[in-house]
Amino acid sequence: MSNTMELNTVDPPLARLGVDNDNGALTIRNARTEFKSKSELARAKQQRQAQKTYGRGRGIDVKGIRDKKLRRNLTTLENKYKTATLKAKEAEILLENTAGFLEPETELERTYKVRQGDIRKDVAIEVAQKGFELKLDQLGPYTCEYSRNGRDLILAGRKGHVATMDWREGKLGCELQLGETIRDARFLHNNQFFAVAQKKYVYIYDANGVELHCLKKHVEVSHMEFLPYHFLLATLSISGQLKYQDTSTGQLVAEIPTKLGTPVSLAQNPHNAILHVGQQNGTVTLWSPNVTEPLVKLLAHRGPVRDIAVDREGRYMVSAGQDSKMCIWDIRNFKEAVSSYFTRTPASSVSISDTGLTAVGWGTQTTIWKGLFSKERAVQEKVQSPYMTWGGEGHAVERVRWCPFEDILGVGHTEGFSSMIVPGAGEANYDALEVNPYETKKQRQEGEVKALLNKLKPEMISLDPNFIGSLDLRSEKQRQADKDLDAPAVDIVEEMRHRARGKSGALKKYLRKQRKKNIIDEKRLKVEEMVKEMQEKKDEKHKERQAELGPALARFARKE
Amino acid sequence: MPGRQSHGRPLLAASGAKQGKSHAKTFKKSRAKATSKALDAFALAAEELGPERPMRGVRMRDLEERPEPAQKKRGHDDDDDEGDFEEDDDDEMGGAPQKKRARRDEDNDDFEGFSGGSDSEEWHVGVQDGDEDSDLDSDEAFGESDEEKFEGFAFGGSSSIKKPKKKKKAADDSDEEQEEEEEDEDDLESLGSDAIDLATALDQYSDSEEGQEGEEGSDEEEDEASTDGDDESEESDEEDPEKLDALQKMIAGFGGEDSDDEEGAKPSGKPKLSLKDLGLAGVKDPHIKKSLKLMNKEEKAIKPGAAQKLAVPLAKRQEDRILRAAAYEKTTETLNRWIDTVKHNRRADHLIFPLAQNAHDQGLDGGELQPVTQKTAGTELESTILAIMEESGLGPTVNKTQKESGGLEGKNQLSTAEQKEIARQRRHERELHSREMARAKRIKKIKSKAYRRIHRKELLKEQQAEHEALLEAGELDSEEEREAQDRRRAQERMGTRHRESKWAKLGKKAGRAVWDEDFRAGLTDMARRKEELRRRIEGRTGNSDDDDGPDVSMEDADDKRALLAELDRAAGYSDDDEPKSALMQMKFMQRGEELRKKENDELIAQIRREMDSDGEAGSADEMDIGRRQYGVGKPALKMPGDQAKKAKKAAAEASEPVIFKENLSRSEAAPQVESSEPVVSAPGAAGAWSRVGQEGRKSKKAASKGKVEELDLSNAAMLATKSKPKTKAQTQTAEQDDDNDSDDSDAIHLPMAIRDQELIKRAFAGEDVVGEFHREKAEVEQEDDDKEIDNTLPGWGGWVGDGISAREQKRHKGRFVTKVEGIKKKDRKDYKLKDVIVSERRVKKNDKYLATALPHPFESHQQYERSMRMPVGPEWSTKEVFQGATKPRVIIKQGIIAPMSKPMV
Repeated sequence: MSNTMELNTVDPPLARLGVDNDNGALTIRNARTEFKSKSELARAKQQRQAQKTYGRGRGIDVKGIRDKKLRRNLTTLENKYKTATLKAKEAEILLENTAGFLEPETELERTYKVRQGDIRKDVAIEVAQKGFELKLDQLGPYTCEYSRNGRDLILAGRKGHVATMDWREGKLGCELQLGETIRDARFLHNNQFFAVAQKKYVYIYDANGVELHCLKKHVEVSHMEFLPYHFLLATLSISGQLKYQDTSTGQLVAEIPTKLGTPVSLAQNPHNAILHVGQQNGTVTLWSPNVTEPLVKLLAHRGPVRDIAVDREGRYMVSAGQDSKMCIWDIRNFKEAVSSYFTRTPASSVSISDTGLTAVGWGTQTTIWKGLFSKERAVQEKVQSPYMTWGGEGHAVERVRWCPFEDILGVGHTEGFSSMIVPGAGEANYDALEVNPYETKKQRQEGEVKALLNKLKPEMISLDPNFIGSLDLRSEKQRQADKDLDAPAVDIVEEMRHRARGKSGALKKYLRKQRKKNIIDEKRLKVEEMVKEMQEKKDEKHKERQAELGPALARFARKE
Repeated sequence: MPGRQSHGRPLLAASGAKQGKSHAKTFKKSRAKATSKALDAFALAAEELGPERPMRGVRMRDLEERPEPAQKKRGHDDDDDEGDFEEDDDDEMGGAPQKKRARRDEDNDDFEGFSGGSDSEEWHVGVQDGDEDSDLDSDEAFGESDEEKFEGFAFGGSSSIKKPKKKKKAADDSDEEQEEEEEDEDDLESLGSDAIDLATALDQYSDSEEGQEGEEGSDEEEDEASTDGDDESEESDEEDPEKLDALQKMIAGFGGEDSDDEEGAKPSGKPKLSLKDLGLAGVKDPHIKKSLKLMNKEEKAIKPGAAQKLAVPLAKRQEDRILRAAAYEKTTETLNRWIDTVKHNRRADHLIFPLAQNAHDQGLDGGELQPVTQKTAGTELESTILAIMEESGLGPTVNKTQKESGGLEGKNQLSTAEQKEIARQRRHERELHSREMARAKRIKKIKSKAYRRIHRKELLKEQQAEHEALLEAGELDSEEEREAQDRRRAQERMGTRHRESKWAKLGKKAGRAVWDEDFRAGLTDMARRKEELRRRIEGRTGNSDDDDGPDVSMEDADDKRALLAELDRAAGYSDDDEPKSALMQMKFMQRGEELRKKENDELIAQIRREMDSDGEAGSADEMDIGRRQYGVGKPALKMPGDQAKKAKKAAAEASEPVIFKENLSRSEAAPQVESSEPVVSAPGAAGAWSRVGQEGRKSKKAASKGKVEELDLSNAAMLATKSKPKTKAQTQTAEQDDDNDSDDSDAIHLPMAIRDQELIKRAFAGEDVVGEFHREKAEVEQEDDDKEIDNTLPGWGGWVGDGISAREQKRHKGRFVTKVEGIKKKDRKDYKLKDVIVSERRVKKNDKYLATALPHPFESHQQYERSMRMPVGPEWSTKEVFQGATKPRVIIKQGIIAPMSKPMV
């Protein structure tokens, strides 16, 4: 009797597993039959955790490979990856600083009831000093931006007041009265340069406030973003022109008309350098400098998208719209991560901190949310109450920005600027190889050079930043079809002439490598001709110089 | 068999100088060239025959031993041989080694002579059989012509005639096999049902490892094995009585002993040495002479046949081949020893030169120098020095023993009982000494306890008073205060001993109150709490202070009583009855003790006074400094306290009920809110902007109505009674929670917010944002989809213009259609995403960074992409990993890079 009962209960899973045992025995897959010691289990656990945090995708099946050598190579490779992840996990011990949030002691306590004054009272003096107010009530609502390492702050008043400062020391870098409307201001790769979107053009100033460039091609810019790894300054004009300017070479890389009306907001995805543009019609469009139409169009809101923010890892996007909603998007698959939140009044600014705190500026208030999204959770939960609040003092919030590596939220508003302390907002352990908040002048200079050497090309921007080096999976037929038949043939000689500078120039290289071989083809002939021509020119010049110096001094003429 | 005869030593030697010389001439031709190889071959043979011989030639030592059962057997025989040899040695001690060898040859000759035709079988032993056989195999050296040649020759052994054929057969077999193997090299498994003996199977196995080159070698081995077997059989054949007789005769004539296969182990020196050459011509020993004579006779008898046999030397080519094969085998063997090393080095991640094995300090112990002890003292010098040091008391063991002995002595001096006694005495003395100290401590403790107990209430009152004063002054946030009170109340409610709690119910059911005292106490406690709660609800909490008054005094009185009793005990304690030690009987100690006692007594008195003074507050003036503080502080603080009390009472009466109601409602509603799912926002969002006047909106409106209603019910009673709107209310409250950002005053704000939403919905109603977006998406889908292009030219193959019937026109319409493949709707990335359009266009500029073809070693693009998955840079991994990844494969350090001297693995 019991047996049949068992059969009845057991049958469905068996059928699912595709196992049929007549006796009702259940096959357990992955049963742990072998004994494992505690240390072994601990190691396995450690390995799993390491794989979760530092692993780079799933390994490939090595056993199926027939080629012995390849199999061995790939096995060693997998082992290397494994040890690398383990080592990275072990190196966590070096992260000495721990992040901590405000925590209620009882369930009746609420963290959002904690005022700035209370925090300032209880924290160390040096931390308390970081929360400050700047009263600048003359020159309109202020926008604020921090430099990449969070050391410097730029404040730009709508009515023409720009100031940079080392905010921790309270040292003013420069202060400008530009006397015209300022729509946006932003630091470039470090605190030495900043761009200001003024009434007509965009200007670039240096740390002392000296105007370096006037970018006349960027007209009536309303929003700016700087892509630090590509050295690209992206501007979005009122007319909807999206322009990318390379700030290291000065070239205008791309000019894209978005054709979607006056844009309302702009944000960059730090993970893949894609720009997110919030449009009037409630869509968010994703752009790269390599396209003429948006990569993705996302209907996020029913009204204009007031502001957008993307988290550090490029997984989640928070958008706030005129429809008094705040939406959380998973931008890897463009799905709404969790149903939307409401703001009492349409939010004016959104920002996401290093640790995933989201600051929303709406009306005269700023609300900080914790745990709106978390990559650890499979399904996002809706948070019921905010983490902290600020404001309500009658200053309309213009922009909220988190200070990198600090528990500080900068709020630019009509009456100036406020720096508020938000425990747990900043990344506790900075990576000095990446950005160093305590860098010296020398380090800054070195970092600049290094960044320039490691500069990425604008063509490398794509939705999936890992595409580089991967295999082109198009069929040969498609490739042929895609080939541009009208493209002019490359004139090698012309190309050489253009690049024939220095030792590594194309011409020199060709001469070095190919002259030895006795292959005479068209190219060779052309090159020879070119070389001859150049030589003649050189000789001529030499002769001229000799003539200039006269017969006695002719021997000292430069030969070059 | 010509191959075997080519080395013919004894026979030649026995056949006399003439024939020997003639043979030598033919033989020398081949030998001159490959002397060294021949020697090698000889060495090989020797090795094969006597691998386990303890005494070996210098050359033999170089060679590797090959353990084979057959060989072992031989080895055994060889041992016998050796014995013989040594006996020979004993016989003629003075003989030179060369002489000895000759002697042995002679012996062999003798034996050969007896054995008659069997010599042909025996001969091969001296040569490397394997090589020979392989040679035969491969080249059919023993061709048909040879067979013809040797047909006339009678082999002495019973199997002698059959043998060559058999051998040949074997050779053929192996040849065939070889061919087969060559054919089937790619698929080794296909060698199937044909009769394969074990040897070939082994061959195949070894082939798979050694490749084609190994084939011959293995074949040879196999043949070797088979020939070995043959040999044995031959040997058994030889042992017929006739031979035995001959042997015995020989032995008798010889005086020495010889086993029948002795010649097998004998190194074949120069076979053509005659007896005279060896200096044996002048042998004096009659026995030997006799045997020599016998030998000569034999030789003469055999001579014609022997001469015929020996006259056929191996062709030079064949001999060379044999030698080459042998040499080849040897070299492959030596080279094979390196295979593992080479493989290891090829696979190694890093190679460091110069090699560690060639380092100048290789083999030296790099470890630390350890102190020398008697155990480790290896050399004589060390041990003597150690001994001297020991003697002079400087040795390493001396100190230790000394220490140990010292400790032992100390221990041994006192017995355990004595030790205990000492300990007890000491403790007693300590006790006596500190008795008063302890008493003082105790008194102090009592005093501090009393202080705390008595003044705690006072302090609390003070604090409260202060607090209220602050409240009055408006300095303190009443919010905080309220919350604290809330908390207290909540805790009270949460207590387990509550009327509705499980505990109470269970207790009631079981009638525990009858027998359980604990339960009864709990019940009274519960009742008290309830009463308190009720009072608070009625707003009489402030009065509790009044009630507290007598309570405090009561408690205080109790405390005091207890304290006094304790004090009495402390005071009453005297140590008169205690026995006094000698130390305590001393004067100064007694004085000290008395002093301490006095102090303690004083202290007790002080506390008593203090207690009394507590009762009447006025008497504070008399007290000394320690208490004055306390006494003075009290009246000063009491005054504001009284004031505050009144104020608080008033305040509480005013605020309490309101607070409570709000609180109740909150506490009731909160869990509901939490439990409810955030559902509402979805329908609210769907049609909000674009589709006005639809169901969604209606429902929304209804919901909002319900909400407004709900929001009016701010008190708990309503919520509790009206359960029906509650479900709606739940969802609405959830929404409230969503949109309330500053939570503190949500109840008041919410309707506003909702009305706003409604307003917004209406405001944007004109723009059909959603509809537009979906239209756009459909358009894009259409554009990217497969397309058919009609390439038909009007007028091509038909008439155009006026007057052409519609049917005709239609007929020409779809004649030349090209289909352009696009992306089907289902294949789109945004197929399942309603509000998303993902561009399917390829970004051409990105193509620059794509690999056009799969790089060589990889089999799939997953493998290739996986191989690039981990970045190398220091930013992405730890320093160790980074350095490991960037370490060059070949590292060259300073020094001389010498080749490997021996295999590493």
